[in-house]
Amino acid sequence: MGPVHHDLAGEPTFEPMIQIDMEVRTFVSAWRHCDYVSTYMARMISQNRSDSVRHSNLFSSAFNELLEVAFRTRHADGELACRVSRHGATDRIELTFPCLPEERQFYQEAVSQVAGFEARERYLNSVSGDLAPSREVVLLELAVDYNATLRVEEADGDAVKLVVDLPLEGLEH
Amino acid sequence: MSPYNLLPRFKAQYDANNQEFSISGVVRPQAIDELGPSLTLLRDAIGRVRGVLYVNVRRLTQMNNAAFHVFSRIIIDACRARPELKFVVITSSVVGWTSRKFGRLSGIEPNITVEEYDSQFYPGQGFLEEGGFVPILRTQTKMTWRHERAILRRHGMRPGIVMADICCGIGDFAVLVQKEFQPSRIVALDHSISSLNYARRVMREFDIRGIEYTYGDASEMLLDEAQFDLVTCRHSLQIFNRPELILKELYRICKPGGRVYITNEKNSHCLGEPRAESIGWTYNEVAKLFGYFEMDVELGPKSRRYLIEAGFEDIRVETFMVTNLDGDPQDFADVIEAWANVYAGEMAARRGDGPEFVARFRQGFQDHIFAALHPKGYAGWPIWVASGRRPQ
Ligand SMILES: C[S@@+](CC[C@H](N)C(=O)[O-])C[C@H]1O[C@@H](n2cnc3c(N)ncnc32)[C@H](O)[C@@H]1O
Repeated sequence: MGPVHHDLAGEPTFEPMIQIDMEVRTFVSAWRHCDYVSTYMARMISQNRSDSVRHSNLFSSAFNELLEVAFRTRHADGELACRVSRHGATDRIELTFPCLPEERQFYQEAVSQVAGFEARERYLNSVSGDLAPSREVVLLELAVDYNATLRVEEADGDAVKLVVDLPLEGLEH
Repeated sequence: MSPYNLLPRFKAQYDANNQEFSISGVVRPQAIDELGPSLTLLRDAIGRVRGVLYVNVRRLTQMNNAAFHVFSRIIIDACRARPELKFVVITSSVVGWTSRKFGRLSGIEPNITVEEYDSQFYPGQGFLEEGGFVPILRTQTKMTWRHERAILRRHGMRPGIVMADICCGIGDFAVLVQKEFQPSRIVALDHSISSLNYARRVMREFDIRGIEYTYGDASEMLLDEAQFDLVTCRHSLQIFNRPELILKELYRICKPGGRVYITNEKNSHCLGEPRAESIGWTYNEVAKLFGYFEMDVELGPKSRRYLIEAGFEDIRVETFMVTNLDGDPQDFADVIEAWANVYAGEMAARRGDGPEFVARFRQGFQDHIFAALHPKGYAGWPIWVASGRRPQ
């Protein structure tokens, strides 16, 4: 692994790997887009991982869930931007998509819950519960099963940006 | 991106004999209705079984949370309704997320257990897979490469191709191919983590590029279909009790018009002079010993049949003999010594062979070494090479 770069704020520098932008309207016109985009990007960014096939499978699995979350946005105007960057063993997904203000609020709350202690507990309860997995549970699962860390960042206009760090290279077999 | 494929990309099956429900492929529905028939099948299966229901997700490459939730709920509900029923979910260590995700279920219901399948893949795995065989594999590949570097051209090897080496071991063959033929990409797959670690270390230390080592099970690979111009699988079909399953996978990942290249032995044909008789006896016994562990080290000449039955065309078969005259005779002797240690050592002991047999068995190897190092001697190890083209 290369030398660790830090920018002024002390946050390590993530090198950009790939970006895909598309109209949200186009994106939400077919469910299969989630699968295609996640599979395609997973393949592209996994080639120089120590185990490209396994990495790509894991990455696609996690990324698809995020895209499915974005798919359910209630604000179908504007751009969806998916960006992947890398720092050492960690891949960062930045997913920006239009949403209503109350949805943004919702994501902020959901993400702060993910960081909580009982994340695992709550995830297990949801699996045995009656309700189909909510967007919150999906985010929770990323933390529980993929050791992801999540945060919400400001985005321009009526949009939200989910930033998800995935340390897949370090997940044991 | 590829055009839309409207066929369902997953398959659910129930095998009543084994009480096993299996689901495979990519399961990423938008709405749960898309899973209707599979869910019904699972519910029916639960209704019919007694004791244990096996849920096989080994070939489940992807499943989204929505689908995971409904399948899990059916199983969890069944545990609550029928406390006498047990579920065993069989995952694969190769598909990274399955063990983690399905593993959670046992924390919810004690009647659900989750097992990773691959710990005992093929009979005799323990002898060959971990550690001990590494030095032998290195020397073997060095010896076979002298022949194969010329032979490979007749079986589809050329610069710029995309190739896969399945059951790549410690990766020496991939490295040699990379240097000699410069394919544009090599995917090298094996199921031994220690071999792969070794291969990756070599790649780093020698700054080799273009080889992607990947952990996987040759009988069910995560690799996409029809993507390789050449798929090689060396000395490995012979260690599986069902080589046709592996061949099917090699066929699947090979491009139409591309070729699958396999090498195998016929151990009973190893030979030497002087002391031919003792050598011949021992290698006949080697074949039987492997047979006892369900491995067919006599497979070489059967390659043609296997390739035809797997659907290949334009089949080419040839043989070559690695001998003590190829290079340093000591290399040959070292390989035999290593075989003797494993075959007349651990394997014979596992079969329960007595000391008398083991002594005679060992003697044949010693005689083979004697022949190899003898100034007028000759010692040989024959290999069968075969390849076939996947029809367009
Ligand atoms: C006899 S070695 C041959 C290795 C190499 N091709 C060579 O010629 O040196 C067999 C190899 O098959 C691998 N293997 C065994 N079972 C496997 C499986 N199910 N999937 C992939 N590889 C497997 C072993 O780890 C081992 O490296």
